[in-house]
Amino acid sequence: MSDTPPPVQVERQRKTRLSRFSIVWIIPLLAIAIALGVAWQSYSARGPVIEIKFENGAGIAERETELRYRDVAVGVVEEVRFSEDLASVVAAVRVDKDVASYIDVSASFWIVRPEVTARGITGLDTVLSGVYIEGTWDSKIGTPQTRFDGLADAPLFRPGGNGLEIVMRTTPDGTMTDDSPITYRGIEVGRVGKASISPEGNYAVAEALIYEEHRRLISSSTRFWETSGFTFSVGPQGAEIDFSSVATLVSGGLTFGTFVSGGEPVRNGTVFEVYGTEEEARNSLFQAADVDAFEARVIFDENVSGLVVDAPVEINGLKIGEVQSVRAVIDEEEFGDSRVRLSVVLAIQPARLGLQGDVTPDAARSFIADRVANGLRARLTSASILTGGLKIDLVQVDDADPLTLEIPEDALPTIPTTESDIVDAAATVEGVVNRINNLPIEELLGSAIDFLDSAQALVANEDLQETPGEVRAILSEIRTIVASDDVQNIPVALNASVTRLESLLREIEETELAARLVNAVDAAADAATGVSTSVEGIPALVERIEAVAAKAEALPVEELANQLTELAAAAEGILDTEAARQLPADLSAALNEINATLTEFREGGAVTNLNATLGSARRAADAVATSTEDLPALVERLGNVLNQASVTIAGYNKGDTLSREAQSALRDISQAADALTSLARMLERNPSALIRGR
Amino acid sequence: MELSGQNKDIKSARELGLVACTRCTKVWPAGTETCGRCGKHLQSRDTTSLQRVWAFWFVGFLCYIPANMYPMLQTRTLLSVQEDTIVGGAIELFHYGSPGIALIILIASVAIPVAKFLAIAFLAISVVRVSSVSMHQRQLLYEVVEYIGRWSMIDIFVVAIMSSLVQLNTLAAITPGRASLFFALSVIFTMLSAQAFDSRMIWDVQSGHSDTPDAAEGTAPSDRTAT
Repeated sequence: MSDTPPPVQVERQRKTRLSRFSIVWIIPLLAIAIALGVAWQSYSARGPVIEIKFENGAGIAERETELRYRDVAVGVVEEVRFSEDLASVVAAVRVDKDVASYIDVSASFWIVRPEVTARGITGLDTVLSGVYIEGTWDSKIGTPQTRFDGLADAPLFRPGGNGLEIVMRTTPDGTMTDDSPITYRGIEVGRVGKASISPEGNYAVAEALIYEEHRRLISSSTRFWETSGFTFSVGPQGAEIDFSSVATLVSGGLTFGTFVSGGEPVRNGTVFEVYGTEEEARNSLFQAADVDAFEARVIFDENVSGLVVDAPVEINGLKIGEVQSVRAVIDEEEFGDSRVRLSVVLAIQPARLGLQGDVTPDAARSFIADRVANGLRARLTSASILTGGLKIDLVQVDDADPLTLEIPEDALPTIPTTESDIVDAAATVEGVVNRINNLPIEELLGSAIDFLDSAQALVANEDLQETPGEVRAILSEIRTIVASDDVQNIPVALNASVTRLESLLREIEETELAARLVNAVDAAADAATGVSTSVEGIPALVERIEAVAAKAEALPVEELANQLTELAAAAEGILDTEAARQLPADLSAALNEINATLTEFREGGAVTNLNATLGSARRAADAVATSTEDLPALVERLGNVLNQASVTIAGYNKGDTLSREAQSALRDISQAADALTSLARMLERNPSALIRGR
Repeated sequence: MELSGQNKDIKSARELGLVACTRCTKVWPAGTETCGRCGKHLQSRDTTSLQRVWAFWFVGFLCYIPANMYPMLQTRTLLSVQEDTIVGGAIELFHYGSPGIALIILIASVAIPVAKFLAIAFLAISVVRVSSVSMHQRQLLYEVVEYIGRWSMIDIFVVAIMSSLVQLNTLAAITPGRASLFFALSVIFTMLSAQAFDSRMIWDVQSGHSDTPDAAEGTAPSDRTAT
């Protein structure tokens, strides 16, 4: 670039006006177009604003609180403000365009808040997410509306909601728990809404909803009653406590039952009465049946307390009616005497007899008349042992006298009676008490007291009181004797003797013990056989014992008591005698004599003598033992001598005379040896013979 | 670029009848249609530069409005859903006792973009009208604007990182709001706008101003149309 280029003529280039604009301008135009398009679209997609008036706006926040329909958000609160008079809060809700047209006069709105009731917790999700407005409307497009009044609570009936919508009404003087569940067999099948008082103020009315799946449970003969809290009653059937569930115990509730079949299905808006108890509800069914009760009279000869008006009348345990009135009658003309009788009027519900065809009093009368001819009788029965209540039972008596139901023109028909079946627990208890009462307890006690008095007098006797002192003196004497050296030596001496005797006896026993044992065992076996034979007699024995026991049982308690009393009296008499009183003195004297004897015994040296005697006995025994030891040796020697003698004699066999004499001498010697042997044997068996001399 | 000293008598290539190739910088005599070396179409001045500047500037500005109106971040925790616009979030941070972070957000997301709009508009006007700001300062301003433009995307990066890291299902989740898209578009278009600006025009005005001080506006169209 060293050369400087020549100056250039800058030419002006004319272009069309369009070409002067850059194509880039399309981008902002496009952007504007898009922005406008989006703006228009979002504006046109906006739904209308509806205004809902609430009493308070707890938790409603602008642009956050949603409007929900079936739990799906269909709008959002745009603005919350007060109404002109500051009396309520108005929430302006922008609703989605696609549902806006459905929000018409049928719509209702309420605020869903967390709620804790006895039945559980609802709306828990709103604790975290905040409250929302729930709306409900039907599925038809109707007259549009933009201003609504919000409800305080969720409505019971929802447009399009399925279920049977009925109305509950209290009985004229009854009460009702509103906003509570309707249960059936413990299952919640519906709800009662808020109750309101009727314009006349004589009963309360509440809407109730039976869920669709339970709709068939309700018919025109269904009756509703309260189950709130619990009932406690004491009646002829005993004590009853009744409550159905804890939830109803706390918050109350209704339940229902269909006691008779044949009801017609009900439509929405049907009014039902709510009864206080199941009993009322059940009874109402028959009252409402427009059937008069069949009335009949029963005359009971006995006059028993416990039968009251409204007591049940049963047939085979099934209640068919009630006692209408109870009164006493005296009618000489009718009954032939002037005894007081019990006249009971029964009201029997024909509907409960299960009659086929007409359910009328006349039908019931003919039915009863027919049954009476076949043996149906009325009787009084205990309804409850505890309360002593009575009821009237119609029972079938098989061998009843043929009777017919008297149907007089101007009076009630009279049902014949049969023997009453009253469990009289009281009478039984009374009899037992009476027997106890009749026992001569007082006499017995009197005798016992006398006896004790005499015993006391005896014990108080001075002689008797001295006795212990004397006895103690005797005991001290005995103690001194026992403590003396001589007496204490006795065991030593005895011990030594016994040791000797034992060693002797052991030698002797070894020889014959086994044989004796065998004999003893045999004898034992024999004895056992004898025993088993005698065992056979035991059942008989037992029978006899039983007989004796029976006799003993048969013994009258009274007599026993009387005899006891007599015995006590006799004992008393004995104790009262002079001799008995003298007894302690005699006893004392006897003890004194014993004492003196013992003293003599000690002084007379009896113990020393005894000791000496035992000592000599021991020596004698020693001697015997020594001699007994020598005996076998002696016998042996004798044997040797005899042997030698017999040899010698054999040597002198030649000389007859000598031999004969020697033989006789030897025989004598042999006899002497035999005698010695037998002596030795005897001593072995019985060493004491030496001492005793036999 | 035609950086030089403070010499006021400097001649531009155009005045000397030359045209430089903007790709390979070879100088050719004025009127040459294409660069003989690299083949690029030669143009002494980009005639549609200002139009493009304004067009992109306009779109960028259009996007900047919803970027401030719509929420930038949607923070969903177990209990609540919170949506914050750029300015609202900064104010909240300021209330929570983090003025430093609030200041950074305000500078990065509000002050700089707004300053960029103003700077580009000023530059685009100053090449047409006489400005008291010297050409060197305006050149510096242009370079700063072009350099700083890419850093405006830092907001978008923060949003992208946050929303990809904090995804704990129901417990807590951060999702980018609608404003983040518009903010990104706004930044992109302002950058395009700044790039579309032909900085050579700054110097044309100077030469025009020195040649015909009373007809600065009149020269500008002629400059633009001249090749």
